[in-house]
Amino acid sequence: MIQVRGLTKSYGKQKVLGHIDLQLQKGEVTAILGPSGSGKTTLLRCLNFLEKPNAGEIAIGDVTVNCKGAGKRDIHKLRQKTAMVFQNYHLFKHKTALENVMEGLVVVQKLLKADARARSQLMLDKVGLADKQDAYPSQLSGGQQQRVGIARALALNPEVVLFDEPTSALDPERVGEVLEVIRSIAREGITMIIVTHEMAFARDVSNHVVFMDDGAIVEEGPPQELFGSPKEERTRQFLKRMTQEWSYTI
Amino acid sequence: MKLDPGFIYDAFLQLLSALPMTLLLTGVPAAGGLLIGTGVAFIRHYRVRGLHLIVAGYVAFIRGTPALMHLFLVYFGSPVIIDFFARKLGLDFNSASIPILYYVFLAFSLTAGAYLSEFIRAGLLAVDKGQVEAAYAVGMTALQAFRRIVLPQALAVSLPNMTNVVIGLLHGSTLAFTVTVLEVFGKANIVANQNWKYFEAFIAAAILYWGITILLETASARLEKRINRYHRGGVA
Repeated sequence: MIQVRGLTKSYGKQKVLGHIDLQLQKGEVTAILGPSGSGKTTLLRCLNFLEKPNAGEIAIGDVTVNCKGAGKRDIHKLRQKTAMVFQNYHLFKHKTALENVMEGLVVVQKLLKADARARSQLMLDKVGLADKQDAYPSQLSGGQQQRVGIARALALNPEVVLFDEPTSALDPERVGEVLEVIRSIAREGITMIIVTHEMAFARDVSNHVVFMDDGAIVEEGPPQELFGSPKEERTRQFLKRMTQEWSYTI
Repeated sequence: MKLDPGFIYDAFLQLLSALPMTLLLTGVPAAGGLLIGTGVAFIRHYRVRGLHLIVAGYVAFIRGTPALMHLFLVYFGSPVIIDFFARKLGLDFNSASIPILYYVFLAFSLTAGAYLSEFIRAGLLAVDKGQVEAAYAVGMTALQAFRRIVLPQALAVSLPNMTNVVIGLLHGSTLAFTVTVLEVFGKANIVANQNWKYFEAFIAAAILYWGITILLETASARLEKRINRYHRGGVA
């Protein structure tokens, strides 16, 4: 279970997140939606302290961290409960696909090399890249790199996987293959938080949708509810713009 | 004066006896410089409080003065400092018992360290921040991320420049001649003096230096190819 209480974050005087409260159940897939600059990515990055929150409390599994005055050890513990998939993949460029997946297992979780390798191969197979294990990131397409990124996150067997706009950097033809992989692991009951602009995907895959605007949660609920009959005017406005069929008159 | 080609060969053979010293004067400062350079680059890159201004001063000073000057400053300066502290601490120790060679190692390491640190720093800047975040996200500590993710890529990027520094050290090792360490250049001087055949002796020395340089360049090119394996491939 993941619990966020009173999380705030500002850059200097500019407030980015104002008092966020959030509670997510184990095995749940949560989609965070919202316009650019609404703080969704910042919220996600606060969960593993890639951004340092100013105040609040984050509890993931059996680790609870008070953000104010959180020490290196707290942050380290929290990060071991989470894994992240990045918008720009951020694979280790000097390592092969397999080594990328193995890295955390060997260095952080101190698995034996052979065990780490077996587990990593399993994960690469899961994302459909068993035949690419010896390829370097520069030899893979964007979609393939992102799938390696997903395998790297899953291999750690974290309490929660954080997806930061996993398909935003991909060209439209590659989006499908990555979404398909995420969809299949969502079915396995892995807890996930996904920041995304893919409305149809969010509606289809998630159990819980959070809509954010201007550094605050505007509305949250099951996808049928939030997409079907949003309570807030701001949500309606956003969804209308994001899901409308574009028509052009020339 | 007539050139004696046969003597070039004789001189060359005599110079080989001093070759190990030249290689030592290149290798030890290269290793020492790499250590210093990595440390300095790390401190400057992460702006370690209290230290990064000091090391910035060190780099500026070394890069602003000739290598021969560093050698003389260390050679004439450090015995004074060592004896001063030995007296203060009441130790029965005299700087005269330290071999001259050690001062040369120290001086050359300090010279190489400053130059190497700049190249390593450029390499560190070339590794994108995203990879560091990814390393943190899988649970690595800052030090693990530096050692396993950033440093290998930074060194790969700076390898061509580092080769130049090592070649510079090889050629700069001739300066050790000025403080009576007998290496190839010093030996060439002796051979030349003894036989009154200066041109021949120095041609032999030049051939020897050039040969080693070519070997270093070849080794570096091979290493570069190996280390940069991950850059190949077309699709991005």
